Amino acid sequence: MNERVAIAPVRKTVHVKVPIAHAFEVFTSGLTRWWPHNHGIGKKPIQKVQMEPRLGGRWIEIAEDGTETSAATIILWEPPHRFAMLWQVNAQWKPDLAMKSEVDVRFTADGPEATNVELVHHKFETMGAEAGASMRKDVDGGWPGLMQRFVEEAERGRN
Amino acid sequence: MAYGTALAVLADPTRRQVFERLRGGPRPVNKLAQGLPVSRPAVSQHLKVLKDAGLVEERRKGVRRIYSLRREGLMELREWLDSFWGDALDAFKLEAERSYKAKKRDR
Repeated sequence: MNERVAIAPVRKTVHVKVPIAHAFEVFTSGLTRWWPHNHGIGKKPIQKVQMEPRLGGRWIEIAEDGTETSAATIILWEPPHRFAMLWQVNAQWKPDLAMKSEVDVRFTADGPEATNVELVHHKFETMGAEAGASMRKDVDGGWPGLMQRFVEEAERGRN
Repeated sequence: MAYGTALAVLADPTRRQVFERLRGGPRPVNKLAQGLPVSRPAVSQHLKVLKDAGLVEERRKGVRRIYSLRREGLMELREWLDSFWGDALDAFKLEAERSYKAKKRDR
């Protein structure tokens, strides 16, 4: 298998009615305030997610028991316009420093009071063809195991 | 909120079994009921609930009714599940706009 065959990026955009500086600040320093808590990669329930807002900073999940898991490292830092991070998570959704797909987030002012945020997750091919395709499918698609967890939760509620 | 109904409906284990059997292709009630630990009328009842939730459709073939999965119903569920970064951006938008309004109010 040729690992260099590019895998299509996942591209998502959102329009927010806030100035660009505020959007950037909330996305990065404020990550812990909005990140969905069911979106964890560690084994344990996440208590919070934090980003160290600087070049070389990490994206860290903090479990309820205090365990820290790093999921990404910031490799480009241009506030308030753009940042990018290495997504160090493997196809099994385990933290893995050898993994190097990238998440690139750009902020573009739409007047003084609104911002377009574009998130591109790309370079999946660096993970290898199969693992890259799997990660691409997962981030474009659903959170792995979400349906299973829902079913467990629903069944638990019935008993 | 179609997905909400779909999720609630699929939370019943027997109903989910009936639903999963339809993944193998369209079937009449008696085929679906074979090997399930519930009566045929009970299976019919589950099919009705699945149909009302938009997950299953029914067509008549002579006197028999044939049930199959309804693709659009599954798409709605799938779209809801299919959004790792999409969900994250939605959550981000809510918080960014909420905190900005609060900040403006405090000025």
